[in-house]
Amino acid sequence: MPDVQSMVAEFVNKLRKRKIEGSQATAKCTVELLRSVISHQRVPHANQAAALIDAVKAVGQQLVAANPVELAVGNVVRRVLHIIREEDLSLTTAAMAGLDLLDASDDDDIDNCKGIGYPAMSAAVVAAAARSTLRPPSLQTLLEGTPESATVPYTSSSGADSESKTADKSSLTRKLKHDVIEGVNQLIHEISGCHEQIAEQAIEHIHQNEVILTLGSSRTVLEFLCAAKEKKRSFRVFVAEGAPRYQGHLLAKELVARGLQTTVITDSAVFAMISRVNMVIIGAHAVMANGGVIGPVGVNMAALAAKKHAVPFVVLAGSHKLCPLYPHNPEVLLNELRSPSELLDFGEFSDCLDFGAGSGSLQVVNPTFDYVPPNLVSLFITDTGGHNPSYMYRLIADYYSADDLVM
Amino acid sequence: MWRSSASFILDKHLNNKPISITHSIDSPPPPSASMADENPNPNPISAYYETRAAHHGIVTSEWLEQAQAAVQRYPDRENSVSPVSGSPFSVIEEFNSWRQQPDLAEAVAAIRALAAVIRASEATTMMELEIELKKASDTLKAWDTTSISLTAGCDLFMRYVTRTSALEFEDFNSAKSRVLGRAEKFGEISCKARRVIAILSQDFIFDGCTILVHGFSRVVFEILKTSAQNKKLFRVLCTEGRPDKTGVLLAKELAKLDIPVKLLIDSAVAYSMDEVDMVFVGADGVVESGGIINMMGTYQIALVAHSMNKPVYVAAESYKFARLYPLDQKDLEPALRPNDFNVPVPPKVEVERSARDYTPPQYLTLLFTDLGVLTPSVVSDELIQLYL
Repeated sequence: MPDVQSMVAEFVNKLRKRKIEGSQATAKCTVELLRSVISHQRVPHANQAAALIDAVKAVGQQLVAANPVELAVGNVVRRVLHIIREEDLSLTTAAMAGLDLLDASDDDDIDNCKGIGYPAMSAAVVAAAARSTLRPPSLQTLLEGTPESATVPYTSSSGADSESKTADKSSLTRKLKHDVIEGVNQLIHEISGCHEQIAEQAIEHIHQNEVILTLGSSRTVLEFLCAAKEKKRSFRVFVAEGAPRYQGHLLAKELVARGLQTTVITDSAVFAMISRVNMVIIGAHAVMANGGVIGPVGVNMAALAAKKHAVPFVVLAGSHKLCPLYPHNPEVLLNELRSPSELLDFGEFSDCLDFGAGSGSLQVVNPTFDYVPPNLVSLFITDTGGHNPSYMYRLIADYYSADDLVM
Repeated sequence: MWRSSASFILDKHLNNKPISITHSIDSPPPPSASMADENPNPNPISAYYETRAAHHGIVTSEWLEQAQAAVQRYPDRENSVSPVSGSPFSVIEEFNSWRQQPDLAEAVAAIRALAAVIRASEATTMMELEIELKKASDTLKAWDTTSISLTAGCDLFMRYVTRTSALEFEDFNSAKSRVLGRAEKFGEISCKARRVIAILSQDFIFDGCTILVHGFSRVVFEILKTSAQNKKLFRVLCTEGRPDKTGVLLAKELAKLDIPVKLLIDSAVAYSMDEVDMVFVGADGVVESGGIINMMGTYQIALVAHSMNKPVYVAAESYKFARLYPLDQKDLEPALRPNDFNVPVPPKVEVERSARDYTPPQYLTLLFTDLGVLTPSVVSDELIQLYL
C-alpha cells in the first residue's frame, strides 16, 4: 500500500510540474497508475465495487487537481470508474441468474432468500433496474425512482448458508478485480493504438491532388497524412508554424522526411492561403461534450477561415481526449498561460515589462490553448470512426457513467 | 391560403355564437356542426394560457367576463365528459383543480388527475385499469389540445404504467398501490427537477454577466434565485412579455431578491442584445427536433441572439419532451389568447392571437434538463429510448 501512495505522489508531482507532455502519454501513465492502485487495493467481501470506486475516485481527485487543464487525466479516471461499474453489473446479473437456478433446485434456499425480506421479484426485474442505474438518467427511469436492488445480491448471497453459495461468493470476489484489471488493460491497449486506428481512415478522406492545411504539430495528424501517402495518394501539405513554439517547423521536417510536399506558412497567412486549400486537418487537445474542441492556440482562427471559405474542418482525436464536461468559459478556465519568454526576450524588454513593481506597464499573455465552438467543426475522426459534432453525446454516454461526472 | 388554417375555422365558428370578442372576418361557408360536438372545450381561448395568465395574476376584466360566460353557458358539458363508468367523478374537474395551484407544473397536475382516476377506479385487473387510464388520458388531452406538458405528462404516465405491468410479478393490489405511490411522488420529482436544473446551470452564469429573460418560467426563476443565493453578481434584462405582461411580474420578483433588473419592451430586444451575455428561456414543450415551443416572442429573440452570437439556453424539465415535429410556425395546434390593446380594435381589423411560437433547434445552444445538460440533438435520442 505505501508503495502505491509513493507512486501516486510522484505522479502528482510530475503532473504539477508539467513534466509529461502530450495527452496520450499522460493518459497512458494515468491508466497504469490506476491499474496498480486497483490491484493493490484490498477489497471487503461485500460491496467490493464501491470500495474500488472510492479508491479510484480518491486518487483521481488528486490527479485532476494537480493538472486541471490536462483533461485526459480526468477522462481516463472516469473511464476506469465506468469499467468498474460495468464489470460489477455484469457480474451481478450473472450471479442473479446463477442464484435463480440454485433457488429453483433447492426449496430450503428459496425460503431462505425470501426470508431475508426480498420480495418475489424475478431476476429480470432486478437486472433491468440495476442496468438503469448504470445508464444516465433518462425519461424511462424518471418515474421509476432509484432502485435499492443493486446491493441485494450481496445481502442475499452473504445471508445464505449453503456451501455452494459461499464458494460462489469467494470466486465472485476474485472475479471482479480480475475483470476490472482486464478491462483496464484493454483501455491501455486502446489508448496506445489510437494513432493506427485513426490513420486507417485516412485513405477515405484524403483524395488525389488535394491541398491539406494543418497547424502546429500533432502526432495523430502526422500518422494520418503518412498513412494516406503510403496508400499512394499524392497531395500537398501547408503547415502553419504555430507561433510562439514553432512546432510546425518540426512537423514540416518530418513530413518532408517521409516524402510529402510541404509548405510552411505563418499563422497570419492562414486567411490568405485558405482559398487554395481543400481541407483543414487538426489534432485536438481535448473534445468537449457539446462537440467543441480545445486545440493549440491559433486553431480558432483556422476554423473561422475555413468556415468563411466553406473548407471542411476535420478534427482528429483519440477516444481518451473525449471529455464529458460542458465548456463554460473555456478560454479562461481550460487554458494555461505559458512563460512570456517564448514571446519576448527578457533582456531587451526588462525596462518596460510590468513586474508588478510599478516600473513598466507592458504585459505579455501567452495562452496555450484555443477553443473552437462546435458549429465550426465539420467532422470528428476518432478511433471508432467519423462523427458529427452533434453526435459526441452518444460516445460520451457509451464511455462514461453519469455518477462520475463530478468527482 | 389563410382561409384553410384551423385557427381561422375556429374563429369562424366563434363568429356564429354570440360572444363579445372584438373582431369580424369575411365569411366563407360555416363549418360543420360536428366541430362543436367533438371539442368538449367550447371556449376557443387556450385554457393552458389562461391558467398561466391566472398564475401571473394579470387578468383583464374582459377575460374574466368571458371565462364566466363560458362556464355558465356550458355547465353540463363538464359533467357529461366524465370518463369513468357511472360514477360522477370527472377527471377534468380534478385536473383543473390541481392546475389552479400556481406552483404546480402542468404535467404534475395531469399525473395527479390520473392518479385520482386510479384511486376512484373499480377495476380488478391491470388490463382494465390501463383501459380506464387510457380513456381518462384521452379525455384530458382532448379537453386542452394546446397544452404540451399535459400531453407529454399523460403519455409518460401511460408509458410507465403499461411498461412496468408487463413484467411478471406482484398481484394487482400491490401493483396498483405502487403505481399510485409513483404518481404521488411525481410532484416531488418535478420540484427536484427544478432544483437539479438550477444546480446544473450555475456554472454557466459568471460574475458580471447580463442575462436576458423572456416570459415567466418557474424553472428559470429558480435558476436565477439559486444564483443570487450563491452570491453571484449578475443583472437581468426582462422583456415586458405582452400581452401577459409577465415581465412586469418577473421584474417584481427579481427585485425582491435584490437582483438588478431592467425591463424592456419586446421590441427593444435587438437594441439591447449587444450588452447581453446570454439568453435564458423556459419551454412549454420540447419537440423531437430539439426545438422548443414557448411564449410568443421566443423565436424572435433566438434569431436576434443567434445573429449576434449570443448563446440561448433553455431550461426545461424532461417530462416536457413531446413527440411533435413541427415543420413551421403554423404546424402547431392553434393556441389563442385575447390580445388587449387598451384601445378598441376597429371591426375590420384582424388580430394575431396566437400565444406561442416554435423555435428551431439551430438557434438554441444548450438545454438544461434534469437529465443533464443536453445539446438539441440529444432530445430525439431520449424520445426514441422512451417510446420505442
